Amino acid sequence: MSSSGPGNVGIVIVSHSPKIAEGAADMVRQMVGDAVPLAWTGGDVDGGLGTNVAGILKAIETAWSPAGVAILVDLGGAETNSEMAVEMLPEGRRARVLVCNAPVVEGAVIAATESSGGSSLAAVKRSAEEFYA
Amino acid sequence: MHDANANRAAQTFVPLTASAVLVNPVGLHARPSVKLTQCAKGFAAKIEIALAVDGPWTDAKSPVKVMRVKAPQGATLYFRVAGPDGKAALAAVLALVHDGFGEA
Amino acid sequence: MSLDRAARERLVRGLAGSVIEHADELTRLDQAIGDGDHGLNMKRGFEAVVATLPDLADKSLPEMLKAIGMTLVMKVGGASGPLVGTFFMELGKALPEQPSRADLVGATEKAIDAVKARGRSEAGQKTLLDVLVPVHAVLAGGGDARAIASEAVQAADRTTPMLATRGRASFLGERSIGHMDPGSRSASLLIGAAIETLELEVNR
Repeated sequence: MSSSGPGNVGIVIVSHSPKIAEGAADMVRQMVGDAVPLAWTGGDVDGGLGTNVAGILKAIETAWSPAGVAILVDLGGAETNSEMAVEMLPEGRRARVLVCNAPVVEGAVIAATESSGGSSLAAVKRSAEEFYA
Repeated sequence: MHDANANRAAQTFVPLTASAVLVNPVGLHARPSVKLTQCAKGFAAKIEIALAVDGPWTDAKSPVKVMRVKAPQGATLYFRVAGPDGKAALAAVLALVHDGFGEA
Repeated sequence: MSLDRAARERLVRGLAGSVIEHADELTRLDQAIGDGDHGLNMKRGFEAVVATLPDLADKSLPEMLKAIGMTLVMKVGGASGPLVGTFFMELGKALPEQPSRADLVGATEKAIDAVKARGRSEAGQKTLLDVLVPVHAVLAGGGDARAIASEAVQAADRTTPMLATRGRASFLGERSIGHMDPGSRSASLLIGAAIETLELEVNR
C-alpha cells in the first residue's frame, strides 16, 4: 500500500505438478490482484511430476521483494527442495524467505491477501498457517 | 452491555456499528472474503464482522477468519469499527457489501 | 588415504554406475511404497554427475564431493536430491584433501547430522539414515572394508520390516511394512561402490 516501504511480500507457489502451481497462481491473480509479486514452479528438470531446486531458486528471484518471500508447497519433496533452495540463497536474502506450513492453494490465496495489505513476512506466514490451526 | 465492552477495548474511539445484507450470489465465500479483508486492511481502524448484532465478532482483516464466518447470501452482516478512520472504513466496507463485492 | 586423479574418476564412475545399473530395482522398490520415481531421479542425477567428467576429477577430493552434491541437489529432485546432495556437500566441506580414517569418521558424522537436519529425521523412521547411521557406527568402531560393505547391505535389508514414519512412505502407515526403503537401498549401493573403489586404491 505504501510506496515508501519495502513493498509487498512476494509469494512463490511450489507444486509437484506445474499445472497445479500455475492454476493456484491464476487463482491468486484473479482473487487478490496484481499488487503482490508472484511466481510459480512445478515439475522435475525433465518436465515430469516433481520439484527442483533450480526452478524454485528462479521463482524466488522472480517474486523477490525487499519485504521478503513466502513459499507455499505441496507434498514432502516440495518442502525439502524449497528449504534447500532457501539455504542456497545469498546470505542477505536467506532470512527473508520462509516456507509456510499451509495447504498450497488456500495458503497461496491467504498469504497473497495478507501481503496485498502490506503485512510483514511474519504476518503473511502466520495468516497462511492459520488454515491448519 | 456490549457497547460498554467495546468502549473499553477501543478506548478513545467510540465504536461505530452498522449492518448490511449480503446480496452477492455466493455469500461471503473465498473471493468476497479476500476483497473484504483487502478493503479492511486499507484502514487503521479495528474492523470486526459478525452474523448477529451481539457477535461473536471476527477480525475483518484476517482472511482465514473471515472465510470461516461462512455467511450465505441473504445473511445480515454486522460491522463494528473503531479507530481514527473508523467512519471512512465503515463506509467502505458497507459499500463493498451493497455492491455485491463487484459480483452481483 | 590419498586419491589421485584417476582414482577420483574411478570413484565417481563407481558411485554413478551403482545407482544407474540398479535404477529399475530402485524404481520397483519405490513403486511399492513411494511415488515410483526414485530410480529415475537418482539415475538422472548421477548421469548429470558423470557428464561433468573429466573436469570433475580435476578438482581436489573435497571440491569434487561438493560439486557432486550440488549437481545431485539440482538434478535429482524429489526429497532424495536435497538429502543425498546434502550428504555429499557436507562431506566435501568437512574432509581435508588427504583424509585419515579419523577424518573420514568425523566428516561422515557431520554429513549425517546435516542429512538429519535437512530431513528433520532420525534413524528408525525407514529412511536412508537407517543405512547411514549403522554404517557410520561400524566405520567409527574400526571395522574393515568388508565389515562396512556388509553392514550397508544388512542395514538396507533391516528397513524391510520397519514402519515408515518420515517421507512419502509414511502416508502408507502399516502398509509401508514389508518393503525395503528405496532410499536405504540407494545409500547402500553408493556405500558399496565407494568401499569397492577405495579398497582397490588402498590395497594397491
